[in-house]
Amino acid sequence: MIRVSNLVKTFGTNRILDGVSLEVRTGEVTVLVGPSGGGKSTLLRCINGLESFQEGEVAVGDVTLAGGKPHPERELVALRRKVGMVFQQFHLFPHMTAIENVLSGPRFALGQSRAEAEPRARELLARVGLADFADARPATLSGGQQQRVAIARSLAVNPTAILFDEPTSALDPAMAGEVLAVMRDLAASGQTMIVVTHDMDLAKQATTAHRMVAGKIVQSGSGGAVAGW
Amino acid sequence: MTRCLLSLTFALAVVSLASAQEKKPLRWGTDPTGGAPFVFQNKAGEWTGFEWDFAAYLGEKLNRTPVMRKGDWDKLPERLDQPADGPEGIDIVLNGYEQREDLSKKYGMTQPYYTYRLALVTQAGNTSLAKWSDLTGKTVGVLGGSAAHDYVKEAFADKVTLQINPDVATVFGLVQAKRMDATVQDSTAALYFVRELPNLKTVGEPRKPGFYVIYLRKNDEELRKQIDDAVKDGWKDGSLRKIYQKYGLWNADQEWLTYTQTGEWPPDEDAAEVKKDEAKGNPWPRMLNELVRAAGMTVFLAVTSFPLAMLMGLVLAIGRVYGPWWVAAPLGVYVEVVRGTPLLLQLYAVFYLLPTWLPDGFALTPLQAGILGLALNYAAYEAENYRAGLLAVPRGQMEAALSLGMTKLVAIRRVVVPQAARIVIPPVTNDFIALFKDTSVCSVILITELTRKYNELYNFNREYVAELAFVTAGLYLVMSYPLAIAARWLEHRLSPNREGGRA
Repeated sequence: MIRVSNLVKTFGTNRILDGVSLEVRTGEVTVLVGPSGGGKSTLLRCINGLESFQEGEVAVGDVTLAGGKPHPERELVALRRKVGMVFQQFHLFPHMTAIENVLSGPRFALGQSRAEAEPRARELLARVGLADFADARPATLSGGQQQRVAIARSLAVNPTAILFDEPTSALDPAMAGEVLAVMRDLAASGQTMIVVTHDMDLAKQATTAHRMVAGKIVQSGSGGAVAGW
Repeated sequence: MTRCLLSLTFALAVVSLASAQEKKPLRWGTDPTGGAPFVFQNKAGEWTGFEWDFAAYLGEKLNRTPVMRKGDWDKLPERLDQPADGPEGIDIVLNGYEQREDLSKKYGMTQPYYTYRLALVTQAGNTSLAKWSDLTGKTVGVLGGSAAHDYVKEAFADKVTLQINPDVATVFGLVQAKRMDATVQDSTAALYFVRELPNLKTVGEPRKPGFYVIYLRKNDEELRKQIDDAVKDGWKDGSLRKIYQKYGLWNADQEWLTYTQTGEWPPDEDAAEVKKDEAKGNPWPRMLNELVRAAGMTVFLAVTSFPLAMLMGLVLAIGRVYGPWWVAAPLGVYVEVVRGTPLLLQLYAVFYLLPTWLPDGFALTPLQAGILGLALNYAAYEAENYRAGLLAVPRGQMEAALSLGMTKLVAIRRVVVPQAARIVIPPVTNDFIALFKDTSVCSVILITELTRKYNELYNFNREYVAELAFVTAGLYLVMSYPLAIAARWLEHRLSPNREGGRA
């Protein structure tokens, strides 16, 4: 489903990603663990086309990005329709209500009308436990609530995979718990996910885990094996 | 950019289509702020002056309706470069223009209609100035670009301090107030002001006779012939003499001119009485009415040019922030050039220069040029506001939008711009208030807005200079203060931290 081959990203003389290869099959949950600065987030951003890279290849379904050259917007958009992203800092749109945030993808990326997209958007908000907060502005929501809206927002465009970039790092344990519950629910329903996390409980439940250090994958295995190392 | 200009021109041209008139108009260009005795308004607000009467005489002889078209004196000939049937187009320049070699090469020129001389005017009590040669070391005021200007420069070079002013009446006022030692003026103006203003006198013999002529387009041969014939007839039958006598301008020079033009000697002795044109009355209702109407033009300029500036500014800002370097760089140059040069020059460029680069028929009317010039200028400032606003929106917002599969343009439009808009409201509303006052610069391209109207009124109503200034300033204030209030309200209403309610 997602195949990363020999990815190299340099910044000056610094090799942030140093020949990374990994494969994620449909329905799998893949976890990336390892110390800060190991290149985990950068790898996710490359898979989503938010960062360019010098060498190697990212293939998602039938879309392939090759390193070393700029990619036309058409290709980037095609890629991002397949892989959604959830950020550490949520990045909800502050000028929109929760439901409008969830609707923004279907309306402005997929070209659906509000009426067309709204039933499913409400369904998604209910799924992350925020049915009653549809008309709330992000500024009035807690961090955990905001992150759950962000998950609903990325689900709304029906991506085949979702990339989570340290989704609970900015949250206190109680709020992190709410978000993790939603993510476990998604995993259980067969959603393909790649998660960058420091949460070892989450890692243990993953199909596959990779430990990244200094731009390289140094250990791969089942979630339990890698997280317990 | 050019295409944007053209379509704008076209849109404005459609709006300003003039309705047809029965009698062909004779549009004569003049600068009434130059004032008496050429063209001016008497106390009752009626137009008068020897050139006003002369234009009426020409209209009668040519069977055309004289239509006065106002403009800055030193820019009148250039208006012949623009089409006559445009909204502010002119057929002839009739405003004390001397017979000049440079102008006669470029434009058609009629026979002279008046002989003037250069007169030296100073305060009646000034004993240090009794003859022309006493000018050495003195401060002398002249009308910029006039024959007097030329003569003083040539004859006295650096022996005098030359002060150049675009307004005859202002110069006489300055001499009267002893802020200048003397002024050299055409005898027409000198005779009139020495008679009208106390404690002024002419000194020495008037020098350097010259002729006033009418300038018109080089290819307007028929009109030139008609005017020449009309002037000749006017000398013969005494019509011109009557006009000049009415303003105390008839003298031996004109008799000689009559002789050279018609060969008749002596000229007709049937003299008309010099008429007093002073109709007393309270001028305030009329002046207020004129000021308020001019204020309407000020408002119109502001509310038309600013939305245009905002739109262009947004395009500039997005191009600079998100465009590739070959888009961002030229836009950056545009912004810096516009911000680094005076609005006044830009308006001149749009009105006088731009038409020479565009195909015929795309000459801008003063109003179009004013709106466009203001919009082009303020677009640069708005672009900088928006750029700051766009850059103030966190990068993560753009990334979140892109990760949902939006294209960059959609992300800018739906996510970044709405947030930037809230950030830039205070500086943008400030700019609107600034632009509101900057509309006064449009007076230099012949638009009669509030400031120009003030200039015009105070020229003819010197006794109310201070009152007029207060009223004018007051009008600006009562218009701009509500704007400031409205801006504050808008700022509060759109504040992102306001609780509740949907945008």
